[in-house]
Amino acid sequence: MNKSLTAKKLELVCPAGTPASLRAAVDAGADTVYLGFRDETNARNFPGLNFSRRELADGVAYAHDHNAKVLVAINTFPKAGDPEAWHQAVRDAEACGADAVILADIGLLAYTVEHHPKLRRHLSVQASASNKEAIRFYAREFDVKRVVLPRVLTVEEIAALNDNIPVETEVFVFGGLCVMAEGRCSLSSYVTGQSPNMNGVCSPASHVRYEEVGDQLVSKLGEFTINSFGEDEAAGYPTLCKGRFSVEGSVSYLFEDPTSLNAITMLDALMKAGVTALKIEGRQRGRAYVTQVVSAFRQAVDAASRGEAMPDLDMSLLTEGGQDTTGAYQKTWR
Amino acid sequence: MAARSKSAEKLSPLKVATFLMRPLSLMPLAPLQPLLAAALAVMRRQHPAVFERLDELGEPLFVIDPIDLPFIFAMRPAGLRPSLLAQREIDTDQATAIIRGPLPMLIDLLEGRLDGDALFFSRELSVEGDTEAVLVLRNAVDSDEINLFEDVLAILGPLAGPLRFAAEARNAVVTGWNAAR
Ligand code: SF4
Repeated sequence: MNKSLTAKKLELVCPAGTPASLRAAVDAGADTVYLGFRDETNARNFPGLNFSRRELADGVAYAHDHNAKVLVAINTFPKAGDPEAWHQAVRDAEACGADAVILADIGLLAYTVEHHPKLRRHLSVQASASNKEAIRFYAREFDVKRVVLPRVLTVEEIAALNDNIPVETEVFVFGGLCVMAEGRCSLSSYVTGQSPNMNGVCSPASHVRYEEVGDQLVSKLGEFTINSFGEDEAAGYPTLCKGRFSVEGSVSYLFEDPTSLNAITMLDALMKAGVTALKIEGRQRGRAYVTQVVSAFRQAVDAASRGEAMPDLDMSLLTEGGQDTTGAYQKTWR
Repeated sequence: MAARSKSAEKLSPLKVATFLMRPLSLMPLAPLQPLLAAALAVMRRQHPAVFERLDELGEPLFVIDPIDLPFIFAMRPAGLRPSLLAQREIDTDQATAIIRGPLPMLIDLLEGRLDGDALFFSRELSVEGDTEAVLVLRNAVDSDEINLFEDVLAILGPLAGPLRFAAEARNAVVTGWNAAR
């Protein structure tokens, strides 16, 4: 089952929150673009973001004209008793010519297998399938062709998984970092009543306030102060997992600092671990981010496939808090 | 950021316009108003999808505060009576949100050359008020390739050709001059 024996060039899977970002990603060298509809059927349901059906059809045409693929994320969990919007999203994705859908819910996977058997299925990171038994289950029952791995595995663990599963793996290499197991984090839900799992948003903007208090930039989520940044300090998103809290008199980041994942130095190791595709996070980011990050990774992937040294590519100014990390790939948990 | 320094190197016609606008601190703003109204009308015509994304906001009032200019822009991009006005002051309590930063940076943001989140992380861009409305505005503006210079040229009709030629010639000179340094 080890696909690493015939290591192919890594596929670059890039985010698009808008039609202009899709074109930017394709023009910058994306092999594949992933996106979502303008509703709660996907895990980046941000205000003003995402695609209408018409925009998706146009985007697919643009991508296909440039030999790129389009994946549609329908990766939230359908509302109990009312899955129609999710079923409609699968129908429309196929009708618009999408190359695959990215799904998390087993009910939606079953619906897609039954009603749209020819539509290729990828397993979303939101399903949080991180062991061979879970992945084999999804492959056997729903014929998923690819699984997007949660950001909690080391490279060695990914290599071991690839030796024991019959499907492709896709891993995150850049962007926002969920430090909890995806699909299972309830921090945002606890504070705002909305979660990435059900509503497609973590720490929704409707609950966020930024206030200038003296020299400090204070970020608040609902009733909670998440952080207070000094004048010369880089700011971050007001997500609870990256909040700075006062515990027993000392102030610190409890789970994770404001930081972004950047595994650009690890492409060779990921290729050797049998990974098929690299995913860049950031559908909610602007097209300037898409252009810069996709261009950098295009160069890096091409260099890795030729066995060349990694080009020196600085993306620190695009990262949250101005910092980056290789995350769990080189695990050093506190 | 790479894109930022790249855009900073190139002396675009808009950056020239920024310098030209500085003397406005001494002049009345009234002559500017018809130009701004025309610019908004052209943008609405050229980029309908951008404004369609703003519809969900009702009638928001965005205060755009270029910190290097002596006035602010009061923008109501959606609703029945869209408007864009230059004002010396405004009651900020009326504003849905206030967006503050240097004008060249705000223009780069509008034209998609800079990433809003990155500018926010680095504290070059500041935002006050309704964060959700700001996000809708940012995402809407980013959903299409806006080129303010080309859009503004569209207002000028037959005058656009010579002006574009002059701007391109100027850019060629500036690029050559930068390369020679
Ligand atoms: S709180 Fe943090 S870990 Fe949880 S969903 Fe949000 S970003 Fe991910």
